[in-house]
Amino acid sequence: MASHGLEYEGCNFLRQRLVLSTLSGKRVRVRNIRSRDDSPGVRDFEASFIRLLDKVTNGTRIEINQTGTVLFYQPGLLFGGTVEHDCNPQRSIGYYLEGLVMLAAFMKTPLKATLKGVTNDPTDPSVDLLKATAIPLLKQFGIDGEGLEIKVVKRGMAPGGGGEVVFSCPIRRTLRPVQLTEPGKIKRIRGVAYSVRVSPQMANRIVDSARSVINKFIPDIYIYTDHLKGANSGKSPGFGLVLVAETQKGFFLSAELSSTPQGQGPALLPEDLGKNCAKLLLEEIHRGGCIDSTNQSLALLFMTLGQQDVSKALLGPLSPYTVEFLRHIRDFFQIMFKMEIKPPLEDERKGGDKVLMTCVGVGFTNISKVIK
Amino acid sequence: LEQIDTRRNGSANCSGDDHEWTEKEQYVKTGEMSEFMEIHVPPKSTEKHMKEPKSFEIEEQDQAYETDGALQWKEGLQQKASEVFLRQQQAAPNLRKHVYGAVSQQDTGESEEKELGGLFRVSRPEKSKTHWADATDCSRFHPDSFHNWDLEEMLNSIADCFVTGKWEEWQDAA
Repeated sequence: MASHGLEYEGCNFLRQRLVLSTLSGKRVRVRNIRSRDDSPGVRDFEASFIRLLDKVTNGTRIEINQTGTVLFYQPGLLFGGTVEHDCNPQRSIGYYLEGLVMLAAFMKTPLKATLKGVTNDPTDPSVDLLKATAIPLLKQFGIDGEGLEIKVVKRGMAPGGGGEVVFSCPIRRTLRPVQLTEPGKIKRIRGVAYSVRVSPQMANRIVDSARSVINKFIPDIYIYTDHLKGANSGKSPGFGLVLVAETQKGFFLSAELSSTPQGQGPALLPEDLGKNCAKLLLEEIHRGGCIDSTNQSLALLFMTLGQQDVSKALLGPLSPYTVEFLRHIRDFFQIMFKMEIKPPLEDERKGGDKVLMTCVGVGFTNISKVIK
Repeated sequence: LEQIDTRRNGSANCSGDDHEWTEKEQYVKTGEMSEFMEIHVPPKSTEKHMKEPKSFEIEEQDQAYETDGALQWKEGLQQKASEVFLRQQQAAPNLRKHVYGAVSQQDTGESEEKELGGLFRVSRPEKSKTHWADATDCSRFHPDSFHNWDLEEMLNSIADCFVTGKWEEWQDAA
């Protein structure tokens, strides 16, 4: 057991395990990866994610058995630098980017990653969503500066892909502890309605229908329409909407919806998509807190890695993914969070129960950062 | 938290569930009179509870030692406050238990394998029992049921999340 580090079963939460393993330096072994499936073993997108981790690290050892059902991962040192990666189009770039965002600040040299593949699909958080929510969240922890950026160069919808995203992130030695307890009120809603290889009118139709739902709450709404043409529009047609609500204290709650990939189920009307996405945003606002459900685990990770001081964050209900992430944090860093449920006051109309997460950071320092 | 736990276990043998508090009766010793009061803790509104002396049942244990009934409700205030506190604390261990408690071991399917004709085994688990361990690795949060956002009352329930909603007194829109 000890020689193998931590052991897990199944392919679920693979990214969490590998990312936490890389940060903590603990080896990890995952067994029974789809062992009962018709096509057992690691899928192409998972292999692609592992290759990406290999690219940003030095000395990582990866062993996969012949059937692909057992994966052994011995992390190397985070190196960073300029990296180019073709992300497998089975999952969107968001899948890969989520893992990379967690690691980027602890590299030896600042990371500049060019990721190619699917920018928007219905499964994963899109690059637009991460751009709008994860980047401001990084800033809360002291990871900011000129280099911090997610840039959508080309858009590529599922299933064909052909998009390109550049993610760059400065490095930090330590993270600062945070007190994210007061979300503040939502002052404006911004959004991006994108369309590629369809009529540019689609984006306008999305905007109109989304506005019809959220206009009741707040007048300050602006939804950009982003219609890319020619070489920048990827290989597949599609459209979608990302909505972001910004509070006075600089927190972001987001929702998004993307059109069904070509040839995978019935097509979605842009009007329905706009309305449903607006309702998803309302759902997210109802959950509330300072961090939206997609970024919960990112925030909790950075709280764990913070200096040895108390960090607090008010979240909405914990998602199953976050719950599993907390268990993994306990396994890798021996940190257990204190969780207090904060029900809304009787005369308050601020949605459902919130959870106040408190922890003391492990005092993680990026030892490989070059000191100039 | 350790202290609270021991206290809770000492005073009333309470299980982790929140709602079971309501059925539990706690015997509370009042300071001066060495008399036992029985307090029924209502499920939700404790503040209301404090203002209503009638909802308390006071059982005389040995003798008619009764003080004026009107002020009786003031007797266990400290105790009641501590109970409210305990109950709030209890919500947290519940979530903690959910997160850090023993994970319910999903059966690996081997015990459920049926034999066909004494020779073959059905190795595929049924569709409904899709393996959590092999589920899709995705950070999106899709709850089982969404609220119906066509209803006016749902829209009202989040009205104060916006700057256009009602503000707390200590805050200023400026």
